[in-house]
Amino acid sequence: MPQTENPSREKILARIRTALREPAPRHEAAGARAIFAPVTGLLDRFQKECAINLTEYVAVPNLRASGPAIKEILAALPPGEIFVQDSPDLRDLASEWQDGRTIQWSSEGGPRESSQATISLCEALVAQTGSVLVSAACGGRGASVVAPVHIVVATLPQLLPDIDAALARVQERGIVAQNSFLCLITGSSRTADIEKILVMGAHGPRRLIVVLAMS
Amino acid sequence: MSSAAQEFLRRAVEKSADLTHRQIIRRGVDQYSSANDRGRGRFSDWEAARQRCHEIKWEALNNLDRYLLEFEQRVKERGGHVFWAADSAEACRYITELAVSRGVHKMVKSKSMVAEEIHLSPALEKAGVQAIETDLGEYIVQLRDEPPYHIVTPAMHLTRKDIAALFKEKLGDVDTDDPVELVAVARRALRRDFFSAEMGISGANFLVADAGMIAVTTNEGNGRLCTSVPRIHVALAGIEKVIPRLQDLALFWPVLATAGTGQPITCYNTLIGGPRKPNEVDGPEEFHVVLLDNGRSELLADVEQRDVLHCIRCGACLNVCPVFRTVGGHTYGTTYPGPIGSVLTPHLRGLDEFQHLSYASSLCGACTDACPVKIDLHHHLLENRRNAVNHSTRPWSERIGFKLWQWTMQSAARFRFMGGLARMALRVTHRLGLDGTAFDPMGPWSKNHAAPRVPEKSFRALWGKDHAAN
Repeated sequence: MPQTENPSREKILARIRTALREPAPRHEAAGARAIFAPVTGLLDRFQKECAINLTEYVAVPNLRASGPAIKEILAALPPGEIFVQDSPDLRDLASEWQDGRTIQWSSEGGPRESSQATISLCEALVAQTGSVLVSAACGGRGASVVAPVHIVVATLPQLLPDIDAALARVQERGIVAQNSFLCLITGSSRTADIEKILVMGAHGPRRLIVVLAMS
Repeated sequence: MSSAAQEFLRRAVEKSADLTHRQIIRRGVDQYSSANDRGRGRFSDWEAARQRCHEIKWEALNNLDRYLLEFEQRVKERGGHVFWAADSAEACRYITELAVSRGVHKMVKSKSMVAEEIHLSPALEKAGVQAIETDLGEYIVQLRDEPPYHIVTPAMHLTRKDIAALFKEKLGDVDTDDPVELVAVARRALRRDFFSAEMGISGANFLVADAGMIAVTTNEGNGRLCTSVPRIHVALAGIEKVIPRLQDLALFWPVLATAGTGQPITCYNTLIGGPRKPNEVDGPEEFHVVLLDNGRSELLADVEQRDVLHCIRCGACLNVCPVFRTVGGHTYGTTYPGPIGSVLTPHLRGLDEFQHLSYASSLCGACTDACPVKIDLHHHLLENRRNAVNHSTRPWSERIGFKLWQWTMQSAARFRFMGGLARMALRVTHRLGLDGTAFDPMGPWSKNHAAPRVPEKSFRALWGKDHAAN
């Protein structure tokens, strides 16, 4: 692909540099004042925040047990294919819940409009806001937005106190550099554009379900 | 008076007398304020959060060249393109040529105030590319052929009945005014567009220098689909959107959500850097970032008002502004309405034409208190008034008036004389029944109010009498 031609680049940079010759006044510094209260009791907080942002939360004793939990969730959904992140853990679990459904693995391409649900892993969970942090590696960009239901399988060590810790983790582990996409997801898609009335499932999933394995 | 000012006054009179409109807006902003109060309660120190946001933005803006270059470098390393646009025309040309050269027929767009600023959709339509708004509020105002009413809630001025009637007319299959059903109708229509568009356009809430990624905040998920499904993604942002570090988002994301809607955090806070990588499942093949100047570097040179560029477009100042609440968003006739728009527009579009917006304020300072990045909005309105007097044309009647006032105030005798003259003039006007007309010195006020009776004696006369009696 040809290099982007940029006729105004130097001009804009020169204008910025000229403008910045004089520094702007700044307010008094905030110093070390704490902006958020420290997050304690991670699991309790995570559950409470999920309840606030309407994320469904299912606790299971271990990863193995998430199979039957997923099966129960899928049983209530209309027939149709399920899009699944192609990972060894999720491949292992598939036999537990498949029940005759078609599985589209992420290695076969992005999710189709007809998918009934997506199952993926995540990079981290955030207790402070009841959020799920995913990257392109978690089944791609469409995995968390195309299907009407998104099921996230996570383990307890992935639960971090706050957004600060979650961003630090993905940066330290090279996840930011390795992925073209990350998303901090808090609850399912919603809008309040009509008379400020909350409606779920605007463009993305109507339901976000976190299946959390305790060990 | 500029034509923009006349139009502003005409609409303001009309809208402030429209009680239905005022009721809709009041309900909207009341809901916002209670949510915002709850949201701020989640911070242990909201003031410290504002202060810290100010500091980060100060650092970014006062080293803007350095952080923009770092951002550009990292985006290129990720396989993306960065285009620097000096003005609206250059930005529109780049995106339009890109669309035409890649055979794009349909473009889906998530909310971007910058796209409104440069009038991107009309430019694309002219080049034969269908441009579709996908944020529900934007979609609604696009169907009505209207600009957004509010930065965050574009269709804030409409009731569900208005929207139901609109959908019935434009989309056909609608026979309900239930918001859940209306959202479902729009979802179905827009899904078809997401999956048939070749290009997606998004704004960027932040440009993250150290990560080489853009950050896009959306509740509906339309911003996610626009940047995931089509094969080309173009992100459009003002040069002032850059922040130094990814880590800064741990503060900006909750602050933006709290100030914008009162939510603890928005549903989807997405980071995108580059096109799909070879090992990734999906995503666009091309990723372009268009950095727009369009007057921003001139504002940067204004040391007094440089902090206007700190704005994160949360819309908080609109919601708390008594003028916005009364006249509504469309009255301003600008891309950015409300206090931030009143400060910013004269910089972007000329002080001569838009100086009247400096007076669209009661100077109560609610905007400054609400601003999560501590922009000194109401003082900037005052500065713009001063700049207008010093650098732009004011009517000769105003100049003579102030000269006369100055002359009067400099001597007690002149003050007494002029006071007497003014009382006499008012009395004569009222006796002749000319209140509220062009002959009435208090005309603009008494046009809409009953004129008070002019007292027989002046304050000075009464004061003198009482003191003589003692």
